[in-house]
Amino acid sequence: MKITPPETDDELFVRLRGGEESAFVQLYRRRQGAIYRFVLHMSRSPAVAEDVTQEVFVALLREGCGYDPDRGTLSGYLFGIARKLLLRQVERGRVDVPLESGSEDAAIPELAVAGNALEDLTNREGIEALRRAIGTLPRRYREVVVLCDLEEVDYADTAAMLGCPIGTVRSRLHRARALLLDKLNHERRPRPTVSALSPIRCLT
Amino acid sequence: MNCQEFREGIAEEEANAGLLRHAGRCEACAAVLDRRGRLRAGLRTLAAELRRTEAPARVEVGLVAAFRSQQWQARRAQRRQWWIPALSWAAAAGVPMVVALFLLRPHQPLPAHRTAPGAVEAASVTDVPDPYSAEGGDGFIALPNARGLDPNEEVNMVRVEVPRSAMLEVGLAVSADRVSELVEADVVLGPDGLARAIRFVDEPMM
Repeated sequence: MKITPPETDDELFVRLRGGEESAFVQLYRRRQGAIYRFVLHMSRSPAVAEDVTQEVFVALLREGCGYDPDRGTLSGYLFGIARKLLLRQVERGRVDVPLESGSEDAAIPELAVAGNALEDLTNREGIEALRRAIGTLPRRYREVVVLCDLEEVDYADTAAMLGCPIGTVRSRLHRARALLLDKLNHERRPRPTVSALSPIRCLT
Repeated sequence: MNCQEFREGIAEEEANAGLLRHAGRCEACAAVLDRRGRLRAGLRTLAAELRRTEAPARVEVGLVAAFRSQQWQARRAQRRQWWIPALSWAAAAGVPMVVALFLLRPHQPLPAHRTAPGAVEAASVTDVPDPYSAEGGDGFIALPNARGLDPNEEVNMVRVEVPRSAMLEVGLAVSADRVSELVEADVVLGPDGLARAIRFVDEPMM
């Protein structure tokens, strides 16, 4: 029995342009999940994620949608549109989560601190802690973690989408992972509270 | 490789042989590698769990409806576009035909020139009497030297005022003292615009 390989995104796109509904449905089912999750991670709003996902594919249907296979993959193109639409939602005030905080030059937390053996992150508790930690990352770090680590978008596509060199993607990812470890470490071993640091007696 | 090189290397690349070798000798760097490995494992697990999260089904329903609507509009536009050249060609072919018909059809006679003061009242009539019998029942008299009309030939009739002397031309008697008077007459014009017959209105045939 001969097994035919699945059609590539570009092949489906060509058929979609020819007016084949089945190609559009196939392409949508293949890519919608990643787009929806990306926007959900970034906005933390299912309503915004739903709207943006819909708008992304409506944009793809437009005659002059601007997708050029020579400039990147269709997946990268869809993520790029989703990102722009998301930023527009932020401007409109539909996303009330602060997406931008921290700067590129902020100090990178150490990846390993003596005596900070990280517990298992693959169990239920660990996954939830990780999910929360991702949600608190500044936008520029959150998006690279979501794209590269969770959605497995390659660095080149991510760089094209963000409009930055691949090296920047790598360094942001490194910083993002360090921040995640730092947050997870603090979550499990909270810093001493102010009351814990209050002096027992005054020496002056 | 020292610890500094290890940290620089791990920021740029996935764990490679050199990094692993150094981690094998350095406990602190081994801890970094371990934490990084645990984080990656956690991220992979989270990613696998999140794979089940998808856009609600209604998004697909809405998009398929949008796709169908777009295709329907495109087909309609295509059909319209097919008619545009067809209509253009038809119009291009039709215009000369209309012009030709206009040129070939019998000309509307120009209003008769005033032949005398207060002379002309011209009218084109559609119901033209049969002028073929020169002294026919309609009172039309064939003009001398005028070509005869075929039975199906289209004719026009105009009413004009002419000098009474015109009656002399068709053999009617006119008293000398009234020669300069004006009389009304119906003139039958052939398809070539030339007068073929005449009938004097309210004038007894003499």
